[in-house]
Amino acid sequence: MQFFTESRVALLLLRKLSLRHWRTSWGNYLVLIAIVSIGVGAFSGIRQAIRAASANFSLFNEAVSGQSDFLIRSAQGPISSHDLKSLAAVAASPDWHLVPVIESSVALLDESGVARQQLRLIGLDLLSLGNLPNFLERGFDISDGNSDWWSALGPSEQVWITHSLAHRTGLAQDDRIEIVFGGLLRAITVAGIVGSPTDNLPEDLMIADLPSVQRWAKRPAELNRIEVVVADTSQRADREFLAAIEARIQAQLPDGYRLEPAAEQAAKRASMTEAFRLNLVILSLIAMLVAAYLILQALDAAVVRRRHEMATLKSLGLSARVLFALNLLEASLIGLLGSIGGLAVGYLLAWGAVHLLADTVNALYFATSTQAIQLSAEDCWIGLSLGMFFSLLAGWLPARDAMQTPPAQILARGDWSPGFAWLRRPQIGLSLLVLGGLALLIPPSQLAGGAKMPLGGFLAAGCWIFAGALLSGQLLTRLARLLQPLSRRAVWRIAVSRLADGSSRHRLAVAGLVVAVSMVTGMFQMVGSFRGTIEVWFDVRFQADLYVSERGVTGQGNVNGIAPDVLHSLSMVPELAFMDTLYIEQVEGPIGVTTLAGADFSIWQEGRVQQIWLRAPGTFTEIVDAQPAYVSETFARRFAVMDGGAVELLTATGPQRIAVMGIFADYGNEFGSAVVDVPIWQEWTQRQRAINTTLYLQPDVAVNTVRDRLRLEYPGLDFRNSQELRTLALGIFNDTFRVTAALNGIGITVAFIGLLLGLMAIFEESAQTWRTLKQLGISYKKLLLTAGIEGAGIALAAYISGTLMGLALGAILIKVINVQSFGWSLLWQLPLGSFALLGIVMVATGFICGVGTAAWWHKKR
Amino acid sequence: MNQHLASPKANHATTVPTPVLEVSALHKAYGKVEVLHGVDLTIAAGERVALMGPSGSGKSTLLNCLSGIEPVDAGTIRVGHYALSHASESELERYRRECIGYIFQSFHLLPTLTAFENIELPGQLIDMPSAERTERVQTLLDAVGLSHRAGHTPDTMSGGERQRVAIARAIMHRPQVILADEPTGSLDSASGARILDLLESLSRQYSIALLLVTHESSATRICERVVHMKDGCIVSA
Repeated sequence: MQFFTESRVALLLLRKLSLRHWRTSWGNYLVLIAIVSIGVGAFSGIRQAIRAASANFSLFNEAVSGQSDFLIRSAQGPISSHDLKSLAAVAASPDWHLVPVIESSVALLDESGVARQQLRLIGLDLLSLGNLPNFLERGFDISDGNSDWWSALGPSEQVWITHSLAHRTGLAQDDRIEIVFGGLLRAITVAGIVGSPTDNLPEDLMIADLPSVQRWAKRPAELNRIEVVVADTSQRADREFLAAIEARIQAQLPDGYRLEPAAEQAAKRASMTEAFRLNLVILSLIAMLVAAYLILQALDAAVVRRRHEMATLKSLGLSARVLFALNLLEASLIGLLGSIGGLAVGYLLAWGAVHLLADTVNALYFATSTQAIQLSAEDCWIGLSLGMFFSLLAGWLPARDAMQTPPAQILARGDWSPGFAWLRRPQIGLSLLVLGGLALLIPPSQLAGGAKMPLGGFLAAGCWIFAGALLSGQLLTRLARLLQPLSRRAVWRIAVSRLADGSSRHRLAVAGLVVAVSMVTGMFQMVGSFRGTIEVWFDVRFQADLYVSERGVTGQGNVNGIAPDVLHSLSMVPELAFMDTLYIEQVEGPIGVTTLAGADFSIWQEGRVQQIWLRAPGTFTEIVDAQPAYVSETFARRFAVMDGGAVELLTATGPQRIAVMGIFADYGNEFGSAVVDVPIWQEWTQRQRAINTTLYLQPDVAVNTVRDRLRLEYPGLDFRNSQELRTLALGIFNDTFRVTAALNGIGITVAFIGLLLGLMAIFEESAQTWRTLKQLGISYKKLLLTAGIEGAGIALAAYISGTLMGLALGAILIKVINVQSFGWSLLWQLPLGSFALLGIVMVATGFICGVGTAAWWHKKR
Repeated sequence: MNQHLASPKANHATTVPTPVLEVSALHKAYGKVEVLHGVDLTIAAGERVALMGPSGSGKSTLLNCLSGIEPVDAGTIRVGHYALSHASESELERYRRECIGYIFQSFHLLPTLTAFENIELPGQLIDMPSAERTERVQTLLDAVGLSHRAGHTPDTMSGGERQRVAIARAIMHRPQVILADEPTGSLDSASGARILDLLESLSRQYSIALLLVTHESSATRICERVVHMKDGCIVSA
């Protein structure tokens, strides 16, 4: 009964008091709602963007054949067209259609010959009755002897593109375009546009007749897979029906083939980016956390402003519980409105971020394109819950503050600051430090795609950040007490004494800043160390004269590489001393996908190709029945062979064992790579095609002259000297960290807004002190200076605490999270310049915020 | 030198007989509500005047106008050689620093400063030399009987002690007038009586005029004159 009465009173007060405050200060509340919207928007936007940027496998299927239900693959590498007759029994059933597919990649050139975009080229059997009408939007009757259906195929040098690709590139039917394919330049015609503008087909998709792609790619008779589409698509949702179909196909499938559901392939792709997505989600949650800090500061300021009203209510007998509920209600209302706005902001942000993330996925994981951003019901639900949760969390402290407000008679005696005793007790902070240390002992958990989730690392980071925030108040007061004897002038004495006293609100302002600073400085170190490590790695690893790859291809989506005959002709270059050619293929490891690479072992063993060896060749002994291999650190950590051992890989020719002979540093992606000698690679993968090669020229040869000549001789290849390759790689690196940098920027900006709001609350709370000083005749300038020093002091304490915690966070990110998540060791580098700059900016901003707050208070008064 | 604020030092030799505080035809309104209707008041140097009146009579507004916190609508205020009528904000600040001392009912000591530092503050604001400042603070601490509490912060002091620190602070910079807003209002009667005695003795000792706003007729015993206000006017003096 009492609960209902109190709820009714709280709602009444929300309507009669709180919402009336909203009406009079609508600008403030609009800003507050906007802050929640930005926080929720950052989270929701990144979530939608990463989904749109990395989940286009299903769309690809839709583009090709409406929607595939199963895939048939060969257990021994690529399928040969000549072997299709062995599938005749499977193809005979009217209950499904078989769609043979070859997949490849091309670089689309613009008018000036510059590679504009990497595209996936899909070769399909255009005679397949299920497909042809889809492309040409017309019916065919092959049985009609008079039909000229073959003319629809047109000349072989033609492709079909999607509406979104046509829209992006401005291409139209019958346009002539230049593409680079397998290191060769080729001119082709756009035969048509696939689908309708509303189909939402990928913008990186190009379709051609199957034999044409096989010929262009110099992969005669090769197929990547055969897609299976059920005839009765209305029963697709029926699992039993699909299971029955699967069983029937499985029963008729000859040896050497395997059948897998199409959805499994999409799930495999999604799992490859799991660690990447997880890290992004955590980063975006940080944005939400910082937004919560802002809400906390703003609500806290509101409580301080309304303290007299609350004190009066207390004097009238209102229970503390109702005051608490009233403030939480207000916080949840802000959370609700902000979250609704956040969903809209997130939708817009996702549009901006999707290409950024797609570029990263392309560079690090697999070829991808973007699909239309879709705001699902789940997005709405998660966004609303998150906004409400963080708003309530942020509103909790101010609500407690409101609850502790004394009655008006006590408040009238002067300045009053809430208790928040826990902010003054170092025990909680110290306990969190210990807890964080213990969390580091938690082993990483395995994710579906083989990546690892460094749960202990994240927990430790969280514990230490909050410990730093809680302990920062101690640092503030101790630092100020140290300065007190030196502060003889009035303004310094007042400001420093206020800091030495360290009210709860001062401590709260410092704590909030510490969270932001530690995260920013931690990220500084991680990005700086990563970059520094990559540069060192580059200096050692890339000492060749020229680096050769298929033109325009810089990402993981390249499935062509350099054709064998082109590679052979390169080996005839007169100035060449020797070549280091790399062959790669994705294979299945014991846990998830990994890379099997082939390289010329003789030049590696002679030391003519430099590596940063974590375990030099010769460290481990050979293992019987296993081929010697050099593995990357990531591979070694992932498959637990840092101390040597054998790993079984599922290759095109079945399971093969490799024995670790040496471990080298590599920073490509988190899947790792194992390098075997080229003949072994070719035998296991049944492939001949190299992905790239490096040319070591004879001494005293003018490298750039050779490069320029080769560029003219091989227009389909990119030739870069080591400096150009370095620039390109660092460009990819910078692109990869653009999202991190953006979130860092948001974090620090929001932190400063938080500081401003915190100082406003502090100023408002100390209004009596400032009024007294005015009565004593303190000049306006000195008033501003006092407040400025106070703001600068808070910022300085936050900077010192935040940087100390940032160092710890940096250590966790570099030594634990990166090692566990991605499997690579980074050289820990402290970007001292950035640290110093941040410190100067922080103290200056703190000073300006203090001055601004005093000016605002003075003007308001 | 500003035309509204003549230097006290420059006029010192010729202005000794002049009343230290002169208020003439003072008007002040908040919106349409007129709070002060032509207040006239004069206080001589070293004179102690009690200002009494019911709530809403305009006592606090008058005190705020006299301290330069509230701008006036019409009339003049002259304290020593400072004319407040058209003074700028910075001139009013200087006036408050140099010419008046203010004692509040709720003491309003700066909570983070010690008793010594609180008293010293007005001296620092007028750039009093350090040695002189320290000596004067010691003298005043002795005078208010709180030498032993010099290093204590206000939260560790009793109400009476805090008000004594506030009184010492109010006269630290040798003001011409002390404006005391119910200085015993937050104290028990014994402490209040001691504070009144202290105010009287310090006013006599340093020859500082005192305008004491009070509700308690007993407090008027230290004053030479009692002025009554009602509805924004001085009704008897």
